Amino acid sequence: MAPVTAADPRAWLLDPVESGSAAGFGLYLHVPFCDHRCGYCDFATAAVGDQAEQDQQVLFDRYLDALVTDLRRQVAAGPRRHAPEDGRGAVGTAWPVVTSIFIGGGTPTLLGGERLAALLGAVHDCLEVAPDAEVTVECNPETASVELFGNLARAGVGRLSMGAQSFAPHVLRTLERGHDAQRPVTAMAQAREGGIAEVNLDLIFGTPGETDDDWRATLEAVLVAGTDHVSAYALTIHDNTAFGRAVASGAMPQVDEDLQRDRFDVAREVLGAGGFEHYEVSNWSLGPARRSRHNLLYWRHGDYLAVGVGAHGHLAGRRWWTTRSTARYLDAIGAGDSPIAGSEVLTDEERAEERLLLGLRVREGLHPNDLPPIEPLALEEAMDAGLVETSCGRLRCTEAGWFLLDEAVSRLAL
Amino acid sequence: MTYPIDRIRNFCIVAHVDHGKSTLADRMLQLTELVDPRKMREQYLDKMDIERERGITIKAQAARLPYKPLGDVDDEYLLNLIDTPGHVDFSYEVSRALNACEGAVLLVDAAQGMEAQTIANLYLALEADLEIIPVLNKIDLPAARPDEIAREIAAIIGGEPDDVLRISAKTGDGVAAVLDSIVDRVPAPSGNPDGPTRALIFDSIYDAYRGTLVYFRVVDGSVKPGDRIRLLATGFEGEIDDLAVNSPEETPIAALGVGEVGVLSAAIKEISQAKVGDTITLAGKNAREVEPLPGYREPLPMVFSGLYPMDSDDFPDLREALDRLRLNDASFTYEPETSAALGFGFRCGFLGLLHLEIITERLDREFNIPLVTTAPSVRYQVTLEQAIDPDTGEPKVVEVSNPQDLPDPGQIASISEPTVKAMILTPAAYVGAVMQLCEGRRGTMIAMDYLTEERVELRYQLPLAGIITDFFDQLKSMTRGYASLDYERGDYVVANLVRVDVLLNGEPVDAFSSIVHRDEAYPFGKNMVEKLRELIPRQMFDVPIQAAIGSKIIARETIKAKRKDVLAKCYGGDVSRKRKLLEKQKEGKKKMKSVGSVEVPQEAFVSALRSTGPKGD
Ligand SMILES: Nc1nc2c(ncn2[C@@H]2O[C@H](COP(=O)(O)OP(=O)(O)OP(=O)(O)O)[C@@H](O)[C@H]2O)c(=O)[nH]1
Ligand SMILES: C[S@@+](CC[C@H](N)C(=O)[O-])C[C@H]1O[C@@H](n2cnc3c(N)ncnc32)[C@H](O)[C@@H]1O
Ligand code: SF4
Ligand SMILES: [Mg+2]
Repeated sequence: MAPVTAADPRAWLLDPVESGSAAGFGLYLHVPFCDHRCGYCDFATAAVGDQAEQDQQVLFDRYLDALVTDLRRQVAAGPRRHAPEDGRGAVGTAWPVVTSIFIGGGTPTLLGGERLAALLGAVHDCLEVAPDAEVTVECNPETASVELFGNLARAGVGRLSMGAQSFAPHVLRTLERGHDAQRPVTAMAQAREGGIAEVNLDLIFGTPGETDDDWRATLEAVLVAGTDHVSAYALTIHDNTAFGRAVASGAMPQVDEDLQRDRFDVAREVLGAGGFEHYEVSNWSLGPARRSRHNLLYWRHGDYLAVGVGAHGHLAGRRWWTTRSTARYLDAIGAGDSPIAGSEVLTDEERAEERLLLGLRVREGLHPNDLPPIEPLALEEAMDAGLVETSCGRLRCTEAGWFLLDEAVSRLAL
Repeated sequence: MTYPIDRIRNFCIVAHVDHGKSTLADRMLQLTELVDPRKMREQYLDKMDIERERGITIKAQAARLPYKPLGDVDDEYLLNLIDTPGHVDFSYEVSRALNACEGAVLLVDAAQGMEAQTIANLYLALEADLEIIPVLNKIDLPAARPDEIAREIAAIIGGEPDDVLRISAKTGDGVAAVLDSIVDRVPAPSGNPDGPTRALIFDSIYDAYRGTLVYFRVVDGSVKPGDRIRLLATGFEGEIDDLAVNSPEETPIAALGVGEVGVLSAAIKEISQAKVGDTITLAGKNAREVEPLPGYREPLPMVFSGLYPMDSDDFPDLREALDRLRLNDASFTYEPETSAALGFGFRCGFLGLLHLEIITERLDREFNIPLVTTAPSVRYQVTLEQAIDPDTGEPKVVEVSNPQDLPDPGQIASISEPTVKAMILTPAAYVGAVMQLCEGRRGTMIAMDYLTEERVELRYQLPLAGIITDFFDQLKSMTRGYASLDYERGDYVVANLVRVDVLLNGEPVDAFSSIVHRDEAYPFGKNMVEKLRELIPRQMFDVPIQAAIGSKIIARETIKAKRKDVLAKCYGGDVSRKRKLLEKQKEGKKKMKSVGSVEVPQEAFVSALRSTGPKGD
């Protein structure tokens, strides 16, 4: 296979076929509230469950206001404000048409249908959203109701992503989930009743105490529940979480990567038999149409705007992120200051590395025109080692190489 | 100003590690007002970066202190102070210092009491016939037990407990009394001011700007700039360009007479022309008749290790770096060798593990050459079967300091290993435990003395190979840190030794071979492969690790192929984090040495052999 040898060695960046700017344009809105913080979770979120109902509502109102203000200010400033200085030429002065919106968290549904509808209204007010844009809201099953989903559907939400995590009660307890195994199934039905067409269920495997049978039973239950998308994540231990501290003190065992890999294989087997297509390391869908377009945008190295606490944006090789503190975010927006906590402008080498480490996560890998330059010898060695292969000119991981992606990328990236 | 001989006192400070020698030297510098108070810093005489970072003295340092004893308004004395290292690896520095003095301050930490190097240095000082001034330090510490330890000292060196001075080098309390006592008790140097000049070289270093600098003490006669000197052993002749003393900064001086200590330069191009222990005299027709002063025994390396550049292109740089380091440290040796696993490198000899650590650290720091260091080993003497040395008519003996050079078992008549004469000082309560440890390391007891009811001196002959793994750590942990160890070179002793090889992925890796006692080979091999399994990261394929004696496999482990190294979740916010993690991993990979097709981390070459001895309990 001949990796791209276009006249311009930067063609993979400037003129991609389906990656980068060609992948669409996304909008990410973050809601940093949960009822309780699960022991494994290091997302930018804070537990509000202990606050009085009224205080919560005041907080949610303030936050919604801030989100809308943040969004309007960013949109008004124009895209070149976020682009790297030397990349501004590649970015127009007008915002691209939004092809996907993702309201994530935390637990966005804690805000309730009306606030979320108002938020989406504000988006439509200031940005052009494609008629077929994918609009996803993350949801904790505890917050589910037909009424909520009906409101969301009317506001244009077509996709729901819900954390089921496991169908084994003892695993749910270990994960500190507040719902029982049946709740996500009920919530699924409520979503359908409310008029939402696509629903994803998140699963976590490899939790201490989970058995092979627990995991199989969970996967079988997902098939029965009638979802059209599954994200199944190997449990990751983050240092600054309750699980991280438990592992450090020896109270919880370290994750076992062999076991995780075995569970991955079980997921492939069971979900595959149920008609699911394994299209990204941790994601399965019922056919290509049900893939998560917003997440594909991330893996295809695309551009997206970020609004809210702890949100990350990317535009033409510059990444930026906002403060993880809700208090600081509210203060900054209130005072007319920027909530941005940091940013980095990537070198071409770093962008090449990202293009590979993201692109190879997707089953079909990278289009030849979108492939950054790779040392021929390194490519040959990675192929000989059985990590990557080519198919129709595209570079993709082999089945085994998919789970050794770090190895593959560190060999291929210059 | 030159001093009359009877106003000169040459003394050194000796002690166990960390008992406060350099701190006491600080106070002496301050009392004699030699150092600008603004420039004063702790352990002023420890000049090297490594000494300052580690808080230990590696090189002895001399300083010249003019001092007026209390109440003595007119009489100024010249005190020559030498601060010495306490660590056993550098005890040859102490021997040299003792040779240049008439007295020694024996410093003892009032909380720790006498320890092994206290005793060892005391014996050295007594052998050199020095006046000993016992001093208890750190009396400011709440844990200090001055009465008890003064009694102990008196019991060991004789005299009354009340004669032991009590000071705090930290606060300066009592330090003037130490100086007064030096003036009173240390004899003035004896020497003939009018005889032919003789001066003893006790150190020589190479300075990139000024060439070779020679540190010496005048025994007879005198020297001055412009004198033409001759070095008796090497025959070098040249004119003294610069003559100086350290007070404590280098200060030019017009002349140095009997008993005085100084430094000179004389266009000596090669440092090898100015050997430590050589005698300086004045050139001239009588020079050849001058009787050389008794010199020093050269310190011999005890511990050997292979040093290989991570990147084979660095080999010439490594050679140059070793050449340069050796200019100022004649005690380490190196010769080129090759390893099938590691390529071209050097087999280097060191005085001990600390010395090894310091040299490798300096190579990394001053010359920036990333290295693989193989596990330390000792030098064996192998008597060959059916080979006669033509010179002696005796069976031929070869020296082996790299396990891979061991001849085939069929050719070997016997192997002898180096031993040490170890001295262990321990509280009486731990005698049993210490004896058990020594016996477990194939030790033979030579003597046991109750220095006091509480403190016992044990003397053992021990294989050196045992000492350079984890003996010291074990000793410390078995005695809650109360026992201390000193040792010196002992005899070679025949032992039943075999070479244990390690195979990685079926290929022998010469750098992992070791020579061990046959009785210890199995546990050693088992421990070794287990360690390597932990140290070597999982690869793309299963990697068998085997330990073998000849073709016989004695232990086996497998590093299972890695099957997952992908982040489960990777969305918008995870990208930067993930990229940085990958970049860090790539950096880590650069620190791996590819042996066959297996990536082995740098540190595995040393760590695999650390603490592999049988565990004491
Ligand atoms: N409390 C107290 N600490 C002291 C005293 N004298 C020295 N120390 C401390 O003991 C430690 C060792 O002091 P050094 O002067 O470096 O000891 P040393 O004997 O020169 O050590 P080596 O050269 O490594 O053998 C340092 O942390 C000093 O600050 C003292 O009188 N009192
Ligand atoms: C923002 S949450 C989804 C919505 C909602 N907050 C919930 O938990 O139901 C995103 C998903 O990431 C996954 N996740 C979070 N932390 C994880 C971890 N440490 N290891 C593996 N998966 C994790 C969980 O499956 C979780 O559902
Ligand atoms: S509910 Fe979801 S976002 Fe909130 S803590 Fe749990 S996993 Fe994290
Ligand atoms: Mg010191």
